[in-house]
Amino acid sequence: MEQMETEVLIIGGGVLGAAVARELSRYKVDVILVEKEADFGWGSTKTNMCIVCQGGDTLEFRPEYHRSKLVWDSIPLMELLCQELDVPFKRVGELALIRNNEELGKFRKLKSKAEKFGLAGHQFIDQDTLRQMEPNITREAIAALYDPNIAIVDPVRLTIALIENAGQNGVKVMRETEVLNISQKGNQFEVGTNRGSMKCRFIVNAAGTSVDKIARLVNSDDFVLYPIRGYVGILDKNLGDLIKHEIHMRPDAPGQMNILTPSVHGNLFFGTTMQPARRGDYSTTRRIAQIGLQNVRKIIPDLSEKDIIHSFAGFLMFRNWEVGWHECVVQASRKVSRFISICIGYPGVSAAPGTGREVAELLRREGLRLESNPGFSPFRKASPNFSKLSEEQQKELIAQDSRYGHVVCRCETVTEGEIVEAVRRGATTLDGIKFRTRAGMGRCQGGFCTPRVTKILGRELGLPEEKITKKGRKSRLLLYKTKELLGGEL
Amino acid sequence: MVEEKIICIGCPLGCETNLKIDDQGEVIKITGYKCKEGRQYVLEEYRSPVRVLTATVLTQSSARPLFPVRSNRPLLKTQLKEAAKALAGVKVKPPIRVGQTILSNLMNTGVDVIATDDLTY
Amino acid sequence: MKFSDVDVAVIGSGPAGMAAAIKAKEEGAEHVLILERQEQLGGLLHQCVHNGFGLLYFGQDLTGPEYACRFVEKVRDLGIEVLLETMVTQISVDRKLTAVNSREGPIHLQPKSIVLAMGCRERSRGQLSIPGTRPAGIFTAGTAQRLVNVEGFIPGKKVVILGSGDIGMIMARRLSLEGVEVKAVVEILPYVGGLIRNEVQCLHDFDIPLLLEHTVTQIHGEQRVEAVTLAKVDKNKRPVDGTEQNIECDTLLLSVGLIPENELSRMAGVDLDPLAGGPVVDERRETNIPGIFAGGNVVHVHDLVDDVSWEAEIAGAWAARLPQKGDLEKKGKTILRPGRNIRSIVPQTISDQSDVTFYIRVKEMEEKVRLRIGDIYHRAFRVVKPSEMIKVDLLKKELKRLKERTTELDVECEKGE
Repeated sequence: MEQMETEVLIIGGGVLGAAVARELSRYKVDVILVEKEADFGWGSTKTNMCIVCQGGDTLEFRPEYHRSKLVWDSIPLMELLCQELDVPFKRVGELALIRNNEELGKFRKLKSKAEKFGLAGHQFIDQDTLRQMEPNITREAIAALYDPNIAIVDPVRLTIALIENAGQNGVKVMRETEVLNISQKGNQFEVGTNRGSMKCRFIVNAAGTSVDKIARLVNSDDFVLYPIRGYVGILDKNLGDLIKHEIHMRPDAPGQMNILTPSVHGNLFFGTTMQPARRGDYSTTRRIAQIGLQNVRKIIPDLSEKDIIHSFAGFLMFRNWEVGWHECVVQASRKVSRFISICIGYPGVSAAPGTGREVAELLRREGLRLESNPGFSPFRKASPNFSKLSEEQQKELIAQDSRYGHVVCRCETVTEGEIVEAVRRGATTLDGIKFRTRAGMGRCQGGFCTPRVTKILGRELGLPEEKITKKGRKSRLLLYKTKELLGGEL
Repeated sequence: MVEEKIICIGCPLGCETNLKIDDQGEVIKITGYKCKEGRQYVLEEYRSPVRVLTATVLTQSSARPLFPVRSNRPLLKTQLKEAAKALAGVKVKPPIRVGQTILSNLMNTGVDVIATDDLTY
Repeated sequence: MKFSDVDVAVIGSGPAGMAAAIKAKEEGAEHVLILERQEQLGGLLHQCVHNGFGLLYFGQDLTGPEYACRFVEKVRDLGIEVLLETMVTQISVDRKLTAVNSREGPIHLQPKSIVLAMGCRERSRGQLSIPGTRPAGIFTAGTAQRLVNVEGFIPGKKVVILGSGDIGMIMARRLSLEGVEVKAVVEILPYVGGLIRNEVQCLHDFDIPLLLEHTVTQIHGEQRVEAVTLAKVDKNKRPVDGTEQNIECDTLLLSVGLIPENELSRMAGVDLDPLAGGPVVDERRETNIPGIFAGGNVVHVHDLVDDVSWEAEIAGAWAARLPQKGDLEKKGKTILRPGRNIRSIVPQTISDQSDVTFYIRVKEMEEKVRLRIGDIYHRAFRVVKPSEMIKVDLLKKELKRLKERTTELDVECEKGE
C-alpha cells in the first residue's frame, strides 16, 4: 500500500463506525474507514439482539447519562434512516411480562420514569389482553407493560447499508486492515496497519471490543471498559409466529437477562446471560446454553433444544460502576487532540444515528471544517431479495439475469443472482455472503449451500476454491484437493 | 495358538465371535456366534476378508473433476489403501459408460476397476 | 410441455422421487413430471460413491451412482418429463405448486396428484449447541461427502467425526482412503448409530478409534478448528468431569442424525408426525391432504435405499390411480399407536383393506422381544435396535382379521420371545 493520507480515519466498521462514516459523508471531508475483519459489522454489531430500544425499557436509563441522550437523540432518526438506506425496520412493540406484585411495582416505577423522560405510549395491559396479543407465552404472566415503540432491525445489514451509502458519497473503506500502532507527528497522526501506514489529522476510534486498546496506542485510554459476554440463540423459522412482540421478562438470577424477540427475517432470537469474560473469547459453554434454554422456556414453556438452529456469544463493553455501569464513551480525548473514542456498550445499534451526529460535532469542535457535500445523497438501494419480490418482479429480474432463477440456499430461498450481487458489493467470504444474503442462515445452517456458495465465490472473485474462507484471515474452508494427499493432481 | 475376534455383520445382533487358531492358521474353535449363517460368515471373514473397493478418479471432463469407480470383484481388505493410492494417478477421459473398464488387473490382483456412472462430456 | 396437464408431479429425484415417478408412469399416469433442484437426476446418490445399494431391490451390490443410473435410464425410456435446476418454492392446500428456475422463471402447476420425495437433511451444529468457538472446518458428514466425492476438495487432514451415523462412518472410510487421518469417531450412545456392517467395514477395517459414550464438549480454534475436547458421558448423556481429553484436529464432521425435509409439506398443510419426522400417511402413503402422497426419507429416515425406493413406489402407484379414478374410495380408518419401546411406525394409519408395508423403529436396543401389531401380527426378534428399521409386510387377507370396529391398534415390543 502506498502512503495514504486523509483528514479523518475511522477505526472500526461496526454499526457505530459506519454511522459516523455516513454522517461525515454529508460534508466535504476526506474520510477513510478501516475494518480489521473481512466484512463490516462482525464484532458486537453481529451479535446484537436486533432491537431498537428507546431507553424506556430499563431503569438504568437516566437523563444524566450521556448514553441515554444518544439513544433519545436517535429515536426520531432511526426509522427514516432505515427508509433512506432501504433496510428493514419493523415496529413490533415490547411486552414486559409481570408475574407478581413485586414486578408490578418495578414496572410502575419504570413507566412513570419513561413518562417523565417524555417517552410516550407505555401502558399496562391486563392478562386477557396479553393472552390475545400473545397466546403462546407463559400462563404465569398476569399482566404486562406494553411499549409500542420498540422496533427491530437487521444490524449487520444496517451497517453494510451505512457503509455503502457513505461509499457512494465519497468515503473510502478498507477491509482486513488492522491498526497496529499510532504515532503523532506535528498535527498529524501516522497510523501503522498490517497493510502499510497512513497519515491523518483526526481519528475516530470505533474499534468495538478493542476501543480501549486502540486508545492506548496514543496513551489516551482515559476510560476503563469491562468486556461482558452475552449469549444469543436463534430459533427455527417454523416458530416465527409464536410471538408478535418483543418479550421481556425480568431475570430470575443476577447476570442474566431474558428476552425473546422476532427478527426482521422471521426467526426468533433469545438472549440470556451476561457475564464478564476474556475479551475475544467468543466461545459458548454447555452451561450457558442450558441457562439460555431454561430462561427462554420461562417465556415459552414448550420450547426444546431441537428448536434452536444456532447460538453464539457476543460482547458488550461496559464502563465501571463509578461512572455508571451503563454509561458510554463518546468523547474527545482529554490528552490527545483530534482523537475521539466511541463505545456505547449497550445499545449500540439504537444509539448509532445520534452518535454519528454527535461525533461530527465533536470533530468540528476539535477543529475539523464541516462544509456540506453538495453531492450527498442519503439514499441507498438494497440488492434484490428474490423471495420477497412479487411474481412480476421475480420474472423481470430473471429476464434481466437468469441467475436469479437459480435457488442456491433452499432454506432461505436465496438465488445465485443475489450471491453474485453480494460479491459485487464487496462480500469475499462465506460469512459475508451469509450476513448479506442469508444463504446458510436457515435451519440446515449451510449444509446444502456451503459447497455451492464456495464455488460461486471462487468463480466471481477469480480465486481457486481452496482460497475461499469462512471469515477471512486463516479461516480457509477447503484445505486440500481430492487426491492431493495421495500424490494425485486434480 | 492365537485368538482372533470377528464381529458378525449378518444381522443387527452383531455377535462378537472368538476364533481359536492353531499354528498352521487353521480354525480350531469358534465361539460367540448365534446361528449357522453367522458361523459360516465368520469362517469366511477369517480365511479371506475381502471388500469391494469404491473410489473416485480424476477426469479430463469440463463437467466434473471426479468420476466414481469400483472394483469389479472384492479385494483383500489389506489391499484397499494401496489400491486407492494406485487409483490416485488415474485420469479418465469422456465419454465413458457405466460398467466400462477403467483399469485392468489392478496391482496384478486380476481385479478390474470399472466405471459406476456415465460421463458424456 | 404444457404445465397445465400434469397428472403426477414428483418433488425430488433421488431414490424415492425416481422410483415414485416410474411407478406412477407404469401404473398409467400420462403426464408424470419430476422437479429436481440439482443439475442432474439422482439426488444425493451421486455423492454416495460407496457400495451397498440395491442388494434387496436389484439383488446386486451397487454403488450410489450405479443405483441412480438404473433409474435414470428408466425415467428416460418411459418418457417421464423432468425439470432440472428447478426449486419448488410453494405448495398450497389445494395442490397448487409453484417452482422457479432460470429458464422459465416462476412456474405454476396444478397437478392432479403430488408425490413428496424431498428426502432428508442433516442435523447441524447449531441444533446440538456444541459449545466452543465458531471456526471454519466444521461440516456435516454429508456436506463433506459432496466436497470429497463430487466437488474435489478435502476439508482437512486431521479429522474427528462426532456421531456414528452411517454417513459419518462411510466418510471415515472414504477420508482414510483419501489419505486423511481420522482421529476418532465419537458416539454419545453405548452403541453405534449406523449399521453393524459399516462399523466393521468402515471403522475396524481402517483401525479408526471408536469412542462410545463420549461426546465433544468444546470446539477450539478462532479461525480454523484446531482441536476438540472429548469427554465421557454418564447414563444421562452428561459429560463426566475429569474425563476430558483434547484431540488436535483441523476438521470436525457431524453425523448426528437426519431430519426429514418437510418445509414444503408444512406449507401444503400436511400433518406431520413428530415421532417419524415426516407426514402422517396411510398405507397408500397418502397424507391428510387428498392427492398429496409422500414416500422415502421425507416420511421417515430409512436405513436402506432399497426401502426408500419401495416405499416411494407405493406413493407413486396410488398417486397415479388418483387422476384416473378421481377420489380414491376409503373404508374406515385405523390409527396405529406406538406402544412399549416403539419410536415410530409408518404408515400411521390404515384406511382400507389393501396390502400394507409397515416400517417400525424402536426406541432402545433390546434382546429377545416380540413385536406385536394389535392382534393381527406378531413376530419374535433376537434383537431390536434403533439403528435397524423393522419392516413388516401384511397382505390384504391378513388384515381381514382386523375387526371392523377397530379404530386403534397398539404396536409394541413385548419382553421375552
